[in-house]
Amino acid sequence: MLAAVTLSLLRGLMTTLELFFLTLLFALPLGLLISFGSMSRLTPLRGVTKGIVWVIRGTPLMLQILVIFYGPGLLFGLPLLPRFTAALVSFVINYACYFSEIFRGGIQSVPAGQYEAGQVLGMTRPQIFFRITLLQVIKRIVPPMSNEFITLVKDTALVRIISVYEIIWMGESYIKKGMIWPLFYTAVFYLAVNGLLTLLFGRFEKKLSYFR
Amino acid sequence: MKRKLLILALMLGLTLSLCACAAKDKAPQDGDTAYIQEKGTLVVGITDFAPMDYQNENGEWIGFDADMAKAFAESLGVKVEFIEINWDNKIMELETKAIDCVWNGMTLTEEVTTAMATSEPYCLNGQVVVISSDKAADYQDTDSLKTLRFAAENGSAGAGELESLGLEYVAKPTQADALLEVASGASDACVIDLLMAGAMIGEGTSYPDLTYTVQLNSEEYGVGFRKGSNLAEAFNTFWKKAYDEGTVLKTATAYGVQESIIEK
Amino acid sequence: MPVLEVKNIEKRFGTTHVLRDITFSLEEGQALAIIGSSGSGKTTLLRCLNFLERPDKGSIAVRNELLFDAADPATQQEAQVRRKRLHFGLVFQSFNLFPQYTALENVTLACKLLAQEQPDFRTGKACILKEINERAYTLLEQMGLSERAGHYPHQLSGGQQQRVAIARALAMSPDILCFDEPTSALDPELTGEVLRVIRSLAERRTTMIIVTHEMAFARDVADQILFMDGGVIIEQGEARQVIDSPRQERTRQFLSRYFAG
Repeated sequence: MLAAVTLSLLRGLMTTLELFFLTLLFALPLGLLISFGSMSRLTPLRGVTKGIVWVIRGTPLMLQILVIFYGPGLLFGLPLLPRFTAALVSFVINYACYFSEIFRGGIQSVPAGQYEAGQVLGMTRPQIFFRITLLQVIKRIVPPMSNEFITLVKDTALVRIISVYEIIWMGESYIKKGMIWPLFYTAVFYLAVNGLLTLLFGRFEKKLSYFR
Repeated sequence: MKRKLLILALMLGLTLSLCACAAKDKAPQDGDTAYIQEKGTLVVGITDFAPMDYQNENGEWIGFDADMAKAFAESLGVKVEFIEINWDNKIMELETKAIDCVWNGMTLTEEVTTAMATSEPYCLNGQVVVISSDKAADYQDTDSLKTLRFAAENGSAGAGELESLGLEYVAKPTQADALLEVASGASDACVIDLLMAGAMIGEGTSYPDLTYTVQLNSEEYGVGFRKGSNLAEAFNTFWKKAYDEGTVLKTATAYGVQESIIEK
Repeated sequence: MPVLEVKNIEKRFGTTHVLRDITFSLEEGQALAIIGSSGSGKTTLLRCLNFLERPDKGSIAVRNELLFDAADPATQQEAQVRRKRLHFGLVFQSFNLFPQYTALENVTLACKLLAQEQPDFRTGKACILKEINERAYTLLEQMGLSERAGHYPHQLSGGQQQRVAIARALAMSPDILCFDEPTSALDPELTGEVLRVIRSLAERRTTMIIVTHEMAFARDVADQILFMDGGVIIEQGEARQVIDSPRQERTRQFLSRYFAG
């Protein structure tokens, strides 16, 4: 029984992990773009970006999932996105907004003197960003990022609202067969994934501890 | 600047709502059967609900409703696809065409019949009070229920019965969760479908210490389609034929629900 | 012929007039000290020379080449600014070393990036990089830091960090090396080592502009002194003359406050 349950939970975990990795893949670069937008010197661009970030951070992710999946059909009678795709789109948008604020904080916390020192030495803007600022930004954002990554793993549980069969859904389905423990057994999988993440982030932080 | 932005936002909002209205108006509901046949698949929204819809060891959906849904799809000349849905979202799922029907031992409540095109009822059911066997003797009529702490599926017919009796309850996502409340002692009793109670509690089940006592009402099961859909008509014709041919009773007997089938 | 000619520089921040009609020149191999109370515009002037601020009026020329003229937009193209900056080196008050690089890497980074743009970089890569490293090492040695080449900034004292910053600026071989209060962020016991290094550069006839509060040091090391107050040059002249017998009343007041305190 344990083996069968484990197997079915692992199937759910695959969906969970797929959502996790694909969200990171798209949300990290998108978040960087949004952070540039929110720091832009163009007032309209900055305003629009900040507005979007405000809406996304100010409303529940669960609502965003519902809007992105059902919205096109309810409002415009359009065909729906596949369930997983809709879940992914909502996660990418939501997490990109959170990431963008972390990036913005990280970039703005690098002293202006670092930038000026690069300029005075005749370095170009991209050279300054990639050779000087970036690593300092990364070092500063590792702790808040590890928080976001771990939250993301757990937030994937929300997508069962639109019937994406992730690990909690698989665990819950056993309740109808009179088995309660599989639902709580899912915690083991979450702990394993987040344990691994914590470990990796710890290593990474240590690797970057050679400078201050 | 601020004023410009405000005007822009208002215009955007207006455009969106106009589109929404336009889209609603032209929704071609009368061609639903044609729509299904064109795409070649009938998407059936279900929840895991033995003996109506549940999975066998191979992960295939079986049960009285599932088997009849397969037959119905065949009669339309299309494939069938089962999707486990979140019960709270059933109307949105239908309206957005994420699914084509709800076929899951669904009680024909007023909420359901106003929001969906429903079939003629095909099965009788009732809401019963489930309680642990050792307490059952003390709670055999509705008056005795007042002191109990209840659980029920959120928005279900059982929850409606409790509300009309003026009793409070803990709302759970599914009937199974409501049962779990009772089994764990978090609630004293729950109200669920008679059909489900028959299949899930008592000796030889996962909940041997539970039993059911008072039946609060009697109700009918039907299949729900999109509002205005002509699939409900197609279903009624199909069902009459299947009943006459004996398919309905044969399938019902296989899942132990033959007592509840409505005669046609 | 002067190496640097600054003419009629003006700079405003909003309604504040930070620099007014700044004109001076500097001869090859000379050290110019700029003194004045805080807020007098000294730092802004240095930042204008290094193109970190754009003057509203005036012009800057190095070795007769017009680098900036507020009246001539052709001299202000962003793409050109980068090259023009290389005429000047700047040592910041707060060092601004790159924390993720060792002392040696701090000195070589910009040189290597610049070398990559040379057409013959590919063919002579190993040779060019070796040359840059050797030169950087020599500079660190001059700063008395040969032992510290592999250390990261946070492993160095403030005085050591500032000396690395000086080596970093020298590595670009600027025509004019600028110092913006190079010892103000240091503990008093560490200023000596940095001042010694600057003094030795002066002895080797490095062309320098030093913004400083160290009056005695300015008097001994600089050839010329320029006293600023309220964004205006009040007095300029030979170093000893300005410190020992200033001509202007405001200079006298400023200096008396310094030497009394």
